[in-house]
Amino acid sequence: MDQYYGYFLYLLSLLTMGGIYSVLTLGLNVQWGFTGLFNAGIAGFFAVGAYVQAILTTPIYARHLGGYEWPIPLAMLAAMVGSAVVAYGVAKICIRLRADYLAIATIGIAEIIRLVFKNEGWATNGPRGISQIPKAFEGLPQPWNTLAFLGMVLVIVMMIYLALERARTAPWGRVMTAIRENEAAAAAAGKNVERFRLESFVIGSALMGLGGALMAQYLKQIDPQVSDPLTATFLVFVMLIAGGSANNKGAILGAMLMWTVWSATEILTSRLPDEFAIRSAYVRIFLIGLILQFILQKRPQGILPERRPKPHPRLRGDPAPAANTGSTKQ
Amino acid sequence: MKHLMTVAAVAALAPIIFGAPAMAGNIKVGSVAGVTGPIAELVAPIVAGRNLAAKHINAQGGLLDGDTLVLVLADSQCDPKAGVDAGNKVVNVEQVVAIVGASCSGATNGMVQSVTIPAGIPSVSDSATAPSITDLKDNGLVFRTAPSDAYQGAALAKLAWDAGYRKLAVTYANDDYNAGIAEVFVANFEGLGGAVTANQVHEPNKASYRAEITTLSGGGAEGLALFAYYGGSGITIIRNALETGAFGKFMAADGMFDISVIEQIGAENLRGNLMITQSASDPENNSYQLFADAYRSTGMDPAAPYASHGYDATFLIALAIEKAGAADPAKIAAALPEVANAPGEIIRPGEWEKAKAVIAAGKDVNYEGASGSVDFDAAGDVPGFYSVNTVNDDGKFEMEFLR
Repeated sequence: MDQYYGYFLYLLSLLTMGGIYSVLTLGLNVQWGFTGLFNAGIAGFFAVGAYVQAILTTPIYARHLGGYEWPIPLAMLAAMVGSAVVAYGVAKICIRLRADYLAIATIGIAEIIRLVFKNEGWATNGPRGISQIPKAFEGLPQPWNTLAFLGMVLVIVMMIYLALERARTAPWGRVMTAIRENEAAAAAAGKNVERFRLESFVIGSALMGLGGALMAQYLKQIDPQVSDPLTATFLVFVMLIAGGSANNKGAILGAMLMWTVWSATEILTSRLPDEFAIRSAYVRIFLIGLILQFILQKRPQGILPERRPKPHPRLRGDPAPAANTGSTKQ
Repeated sequence: MKHLMTVAAVAALAPIIFGAPAMAGNIKVGSVAGVTGPIAELVAPIVAGRNLAAKHINAQGGLLDGDTLVLVLADSQCDPKAGVDAGNKVVNVEQVVAIVGASCSGATNGMVQSVTIPAGIPSVSDSATAPSITDLKDNGLVFRTAPSDAYQGAALAKLAWDAGYRKLAVTYANDDYNAGIAEVFVANFEGLGGAVTANQVHEPNKASYRAEITTLSGGGAEGLALFAYYGGSGITIIRNALETGAFGKFMAADGMFDISVIEQIGAENLRGNLMITQSASDPENNSYQLFADAYRSTGMDPAAPYASHGYDATFLIALAIEKAGAADPAKIAAALPEVANAPGEIIRPGEWEKAKAVIAAGKDVNYEGASGSVDFDAAGDVPGFYSVNTVNDDGKFEMEFLR
């Protein structure tokens, strides 16, 4: 009985982490999936959200900035705003860069952000990080606190999903697709490409900040290692590409699936004899790379491929007086 | 054919997946360590220390009624995300009764706060040294055999002061461990009346530190206090400092304690010029020797940082299980300070059979570990005991225990 209860609790932890990663993949989906912005600096915006959450909610502690003790929901909002502001500044400078140049710039920015958090010890306690971060519902008894926190994460994922689905099928989303597929044509159709790219970048980054705020609560401890590029940038990319770029359902599926692979494979490898158990820890990292390779080769569109929204019935060439406005206007 | 191979593969994997864990007579203890990640090379000897303890226990009668102590390894990657995930796995899926680990302070902090304290599972870390772990509201569940940094920084500061240094430059690698020791060192050295002429952080793994050395050498310091891992930046900094003639005297903490420092810099350059503190146990108390001999016989170097702490953490959990008389987490947590602290018959590393007999007779035991006397205080911390290591005429480290 205890064993099954244990499996149940582990399942909850998988879903919680998968849910938090879903917030990140949905954010990346806005940037990479919808608009084709190669943001390789997810970890940076994630870290901004996590640190804003931590600093605003922790009780006073001599080794870092704190003692504001904001209510958790308000701090989560501030984390999103914080990430959005940083993203706006970054985007103002480098959003005009083409795909790979943007990737290089954002990798650099994420690293700068991480080093700032690592070195501004008066605010962040440097490499030691911030501990005892308040977590939503932690006052409830087990397992209700875990369930309630998971519920909150899933409700947030659902809300983001619905909003992004609406955005995707709206004219706004179709402009994004146009920019991704052919920027010059989108510009020729009179769209302000730069402004749309900036919007997409800021919205996506705000979601990454929210992911960071959730992660900070869940872990109750953050340090610069949390925004390690392996697990905070590249794993998120693998999740989105595996699940299906530009498909919001795919983003969530990819996050849940890849996190399960990432986490649960260890249950198998820890069964191996000691000398192999240590080595096999590296095999798990290799496995993620292998999955990415396999998916890119065999199924580049991901598990759930993109579905373009159908044009509105009124615009489907019906003999109506408005037939001459064939293209959607933003 | 393909089908047949699948069946064969499943059949081969099945005992690995389903066989081992559910067998009766196993008591599982989590062994959470940063197997991959930034300190992977330091973690392997620590895990070997833990495994050695399990081997001793199982070879000398096992736990309780001959149950086998099984250590379940999980990777905390030195990252709170992975630490929480590893904790969840060992606690919920593996149903461990206690945990040794995690390795890094950040991963330990995350794991105990979000998993083990709510679940009521005791944990004994063998290498988390951050002072913030002392401050946790842990319901008496979080212990460590690794002394808080606060002690080593203070020990080295006093040592430097007693050796006649009054003005020192300080540099530390930008990681949680070295930054913590450096902070305590500076506070203590200044508290004794010494002056810190320059205090600079550096990023590990750079090819050259000449720029940092130039900054540090202004101010007329008599020596350089260096807090780094030998492989990350420590050796390079000493080499650069000697090449530029900026510093000739060095003092360091246990991240620098490795024979490769002497091999790469040269004993003639370091003799009389280098002192390294290291967490150690009193050599007159022969616990360390017992551990060292056994550990060396497995082909490992017993001087590896925190290997002895890993042994002690595992041995203590086993003693606590024996003392509690049941694989019950709450009872184990309550028994941990009892088996570690006086009063009681003294038990040393490897003496499991004796410990079992003493506990069976209903008497108290007091474990005197390889890493020190491991007496837990109210916060679950151990006091630090240190040695100072200098380079001798044979080009080896010579250890002197600090009293």
